[in-house]
Amino acid sequence: MMSVPAIETLALTKQYDNGRGCRDVSITVGKGEAFGFLGPNGAGKSTFVKMLVGLITPSSGSAALLGCKIGSLAAKSLIGYLPELYRYQEWMTGEEVVELHARLCRMERSVAAKRVRELLDEVGLGQRGRDRVKHYSKGMQQRLGLACALVNDPEIIFLDEPSSALDPIGRREVRNILEKLKERGKTIFLNSHLLEEVELLCDRMALLNNGVILRHGSVSEVLRKQTKWLFKVGGYTPFLRSWLNERTGLNIRLSARQELSSPPRHNFGDQLPSGPSPDESIVWLEAELDSEEQAGWLNALIVEQGMTLYEVSQEQERLEEWFVNTVSGLDHRGEQG
Amino acid sequence: MRIIWSITWKEMLRKKVLLLTLLMTAAFLAGFWFLARAFGEQGLAQGMGESGEVLIARFANGAIIVTIGLMFGSFVLAFLAIFTSFSAIAGEAETGILQAVLSRPLPRWKWYAGRWLGYVTLGTAYALLLFVSILLITRTHAAIPLDPAAWIKSFLLFSLAVPLLVSVSMLGSGLFSAIGNGVFMTILYGTSWLGGMIERIGSGFSRDAAVMESLNRLTGVISLVIPADGLQRKAIAELFSFDELSGMVPFDVSSSGVNNFSSVPSNSFVVYAIMYTAVFFAMGIRRFKSRDL
Repeated sequence: MMSVPAIETLALTKQYDNGRGCRDVSITVGKGEAFGFLGPNGAGKSTFVKMLVGLITPSSGSAALLGCKIGSLAAKSLIGYLPELYRYQEWMTGEEVVELHARLCRMERSVAAKRVRELLDEVGLGQRGRDRVKHYSKGMQQRLGLACALVNDPEIIFLDEPSSALDPIGRREVRNILEKLKERGKTIFLNSHLLEEVELLCDRMALLNNGVILRHGSVSEVLRKQTKWLFKVGGYTPFLRSWLNERTGLNIRLSARQELSSPPRHNFGDQLPSGPSPDESIVWLEAELDSEEQAGWLNALIVEQGMTLYEVSQEQERLEEWFVNTVSGLDHRGEQG
Repeated sequence: MRIIWSITWKEMLRKKVLLLTLLMTAAFLAGFWFLARAFGEQGLAQGMGESGEVLIARFANGAIIVTIGLMFGSFVLAFLAIFTSFSAIAGEAETGILQAVLSRPLPRWKWYAGRWLGYVTLGTAYALLLFVSILLITRTHAAIPLDPAAWIKSFLLFSLAVPLLVSVSMLGSGLFSAIGNGVFMTILYGTSWLGGMIERIGSGFSRDAAVMESLNRLTGVISLVIPADGLQRKAIAELFSFDELSGMVPFDVSSSGVNNFSSVPSNSFVVYAIMYTAVFFAMGIRRFKSRDL
């Protein structure tokens, strides 16, 4: 029997008057999974999360958290949420804020008091729990927000930029907390611009732009799909590249990585600078390929054209590079250019 | 809901709103004491003893003192109700506090009603303090009717302005920005107060029937738009039971001035004010439930 997904959305849409929001977002996140949600600023990530936690009413579509309709009290009792705009009652102490959240989750006062102390220790605020929130730094407020999000030991944790205000040590501490939660089988939905965080913690991810999901899948899948292959070719002529592009349908281009022994190439446009004879033209070509078979095919084509293939290598693209390349390759409507 | 209205009280205590209010009230009551003493001696010749004439004069002085006291009191009370609640929704939504709180398994109406109860109980407690203080000071220097039923009725009318204004203010807070709602509520209450003043002293402007009719129509509309000031005029009238005492006290009810009681709102007006409060409260909840945060 299939278990109920932790998060399931079907064509979830929120349309604002200015045309922004999310359109037809359908994702499924399994129980115990860590899911990364990426996208440039204004892509609609926070809108999507706010719909899931019941702060925004969707325009259309549906969604459920462990089978409970989003926005229902049953769904809300399953979640913990750290908002992007983490602000808490400044006139309260840290302990009081977390206790308020515990009490709103219907915890008994005595149970809540114990839980509050444990959590504040866990997020590194144990010594400052009795200070008013107005005396907290941004990073401390974010830690407090994490304590509030975890107070009811939620099954699903939504974190919107959970370490944006933290220093590197704080980030590592938060990551450790999240890893422990993941080990305990909690589902984590992470909205983050810190792509390294997503790469280290998440099993799967999705890229949202202008309210539409462009790509999704497991982190390794997405990255493997985007493996960049480099070919060191001797005897290069500009004709080769256009011929290869036409023949393969791939986007083969001159790499920025050129060797000092090669003729100087300051600006690798469509044409190489004139001057050196073809024999002297040793260049690096690059392309994103799906598989080794595709690389082998490309090798054969290069050799078939009478070029010398000196070296073939592949570069595993970091998530950050992938994100930048993908997003910068989109036009303003979020379509691939 | 108890958690929510109790944090509202705590917030007012911690933000020193209550402390400042109480300090300023103490200053007002000190000034009011001297004012009451000065008015209390008005029209009382030495050696008059405790004749019926003196009692009526003391009673008339008491009416003037209470009117002045409650007029100021209603003003302070209205501003306390408005300024504690004008940013209840908008302010907390703008700062992001509501995002964390409302993702909890808590129906939105409970949060709204809890906040509303907090502001209303606080305002009502303050109204009670003010009302009792004004009556005690007045009683020290003049006479007031010793009728607990009249006191209770008058107090309820006096304090009804609190839930009324909090309901309008919280609805406004769900519709406008915090600062926008603050300005809106101040102007709205100012308009209500102005309408009340026109009604009180209108007859001094003109004796022309057509002008008076226009003024009456205007003040009538204002009273319907925001019935806060009318309630307070009704509270004073109930305290002194003017209907029953008609002719026994030397008030010229047709005279213009702050103690002009010729235009006391009817009981239907009180029912209207209660329904007005209920409708605005319900509209506020409705708006809050559908608001995107």
